[in-house]
Amino acid sequence: MAEKQLQCTAAAAEHQKAWFANLRHDVFEAKKPYAIAQADMPLELFQLLGVPVVSNQWWSAIVSAKRMSPYYLDLMNKAGYHEGLCRYCSLSLASTLGNDPSKAPWGGLPKPALVAARLTCDCIQRIFAIWAETLGTEFVALDAPGAAQLPPRWWEWSRYRWRELFEEHRLDFMVAQFHPLITALERISGNRFDESRLRTLMEGVNRQEETFEEVSELICQAPNTPVRMHEQISNVMAAQWVRGSEWAISHAKAFRDEVKARVEKGIAACPGERMRLMWVGAGLWHDIDFYTAFEERFGAVFVWSMYLAFGPDGYIRYGLDDPLRALASRTVSMNEQLHNPPWANEWIVYQAKRHRIDAALVLRPLGSRSSDTGSLFIERALKQAGIPVLEVYADMVDARSWDGAAMRARVARFLETVPSRRA
Amino acid sequence: MQTPRTEIEQLRDRYEARLEGLPGPGQQIVGVASNTVPWEVVSAAGFTPVLLSSRRAPAPLAEPYMEEGFDGRTRAVFDHLLSGDWNFLRTVVIPRTSEQEHKLFLYLSEVARQEPARKLPQVLLFNLLHTRSPEARAYGLARTRDLLQTLGGASDERLLQTIAEGNAARNAVRSLLKLRTDRLSGADAMTLIGAFYFMDRAEYARLAGAAAKAISLRRPISGPRIMIKGSILDHPHLHRAIERHGALVAAEDDWWGSRAAGNDISTEGDPIEAIFLKYYEDAPSPRVFPAALADEWFHATVPDVHGVIFYLPPEDDVFGWDYPRQKRALNEQGIPHMMIRDDASMGDLSPQCHDQIEDFVVRLGRE
Repeated sequence: MAEKQLQCTAAAAEHQKAWFANLRHDVFEAKKPYAIAQADMPLELFQLLGVPVVSNQWWSAIVSAKRMSPYYLDLMNKAGYHEGLCRYCSLSLASTLGNDPSKAPWGGLPKPALVAARLTCDCIQRIFAIWAETLGTEFVALDAPGAAQLPPRWWEWSRYRWRELFEEHRLDFMVAQFHPLITALERISGNRFDESRLRTLMEGVNRQEETFEEVSELICQAPNTPVRMHEQISNVMAAQWVRGSEWAISHAKAFRDEVKARVEKGIAACPGERMRLMWVGAGLWHDIDFYTAFEERFGAVFVWSMYLAFGPDGYIRYGLDDPLRALASRTVSMNEQLHNPPWANEWIVYQAKRHRIDAALVLRPLGSRSSDTGSLFIERALKQAGIPVLEVYADMVDARSWDGAAMRARVARFLETVPSRRA
Repeated sequence: MQTPRTEIEQLRDRYEARLEGLPGPGQQIVGVASNTVPWEVVSAAGFTPVLLSSRRAPAPLAEPYMEEGFDGRTRAVFDHLLSGDWNFLRTVVIPRTSEQEHKLFLYLSEVARQEPARKLPQVLLFNLLHTRSPEARAYGLARTRDLLQTLGGASDERLLQTIAEGNAARNAVRSLLKLRTDRLSGADAMTLIGAFYFMDRAEYARLAGAAAKAISLRRPISGPRIMIKGSILDHPHLHRAIERHGALVAAEDDWWGSRAAGNDISTEGDPIEAIFLKYYEDAPSPRVFPAALADEWFHATVPDVHGVIFYLPPEDDVFGWDYPRQKRALNEQGIPHMMIRDDASMGDLSPQCHDQIEDFVVRLGRE
């Protein structure tokens, strides 16, 4: 495992581990409720009503990082779910089907009071229904109408003109769906929804994301990147799962301060940086070392992933007179913004230029097909912008078909062809 | 002198031709991407609705845009639209009935934006949702009203007229379905029912009604009755492959076959609401939620067959999630089943798969 260069990265990891241990304690000892939810759910509502959330994607990444995905995915296949089904969103379910806390990371997921998901792809309703049945718990679903109007350069609208950016009927519908979710959360927590507290939380999210934007700007402006991509992800996502909370805001600031100090002292993540790389797609959770494998030979540093960049552009909302509607606007189009044309390709090229990217690696997760959509439009747009692209055919959580050595060799051959701007 | 084509042959011709030969004189064609775009709304607005479909073939124009995860049907539609073969379409309406269809909408819109020289037809997204919640119901009804307005509107009288035409065609489909117990093979049924999506519904009602009468005079077909469950079948190849082994495919949980008609649209009350309810409550979609509702037809129909063949080809990444649950239900009822993972879309199955079907049909015959 590559060294952690930032103190706050270690702090983020420790916080998450302690948070999960505390959650297990609260659930088992104090019989407190918690929820499992898809990452694109309005987690703010859960936090506001005092229901801690384990994100499906976060747990999937933990299972994968602990090298448990082959065991669980084989087990799911043996249970009759064929090997062509999506893995990223189902690995956590597989760990539940495994039903062996002694094998599961950190003792495994306790029984939640509810599971919740936004029905983006057609698999999610199925995965969560199976999960709810297996756990004997409630499933709250938010349906997801498709975006039909997608004006150019969404990130220039999303902070102030979000009411115009997202179709009015989709916002109305999402707000209408929030009410049954709030009712369920009130029921299981015994707390009451308070709009003014949601506004305060949303303001906190804005502060947190503004801080992340400062980090992003530091990375863009510094001669060499001061923080490796996978450390960006660790720090950002630890805060995003509890966004707007005191800890999240304070951690974002600590992260910013540490990055800023490194820039001021001229510390580079890779002192011999000669090439800045972009990673398009979800993290390669089963082989995080992949992201530092090209530093020594090529001076090639992964500088960008969607995780830090999406915080400011995707989450900041100004004009919080109707905080539920603002929250709906944060929720309705995450998939289009991050993964699908025209929004994803346009945004990723914009980000590549901002970050002075020399080459991009695009994850092609054939084992999680719905996560692969938009890839070809993104690749084409990057190439048209003059950025060389390499496709990485791999799954973000399934290590069964991953040949790390072969892929490193393939990337090395690719990097040999990439003109280094600072040779 | 040429012998006139029988009604059965005319329906087969239409199924085979799909969009070939269109538009007819004076027709303004609106292409619809699947079963959940309300035919009555498009027709009442003065257009001829036709299902976008082609016989499966390589889709070279889709290659640079569509990732490997897209199913063959969606790739073929995208390819045809890009090729210019369907430039006669005035509009394309794509429902939010599967994730792939939403992506089809986004991809077509982006190609139109990036490559205006292609002159693609106008593409509309019809945001019909399939969760059974009061919010989704209200949302879907509003979108159905929007669709009618976007297409130019229509009077209630005209809507009622198209409802009557659609219901007559559904009635004709149901008369064919009744013959599937022992007169109409599954392969023929897929062809004769499938024509429903490619022609004028008044004409369909006439031809299918006459075809049903002719088929009712046929000699009975023997063999165990089988239901196909799983991925959508826009071709009769799998039915043919199964029936080669002496079975009768009597049903499929598929809008291309047994579930094409469903119930009639009510002629009471607000016609647009009645049309919406038909497509919201009585049209199969991979997004129907909760699963108990999606499974209702399957559970109601399965006692009428001797066995079930699950069809989950390599391109499936949705229905496989349902398989263990549905298999469990069949086991509890003592209904035999098997699974096919070969791809039948290009015409035939592997010899190993044929051997498995043969064994299965023989076993059903014994039982």
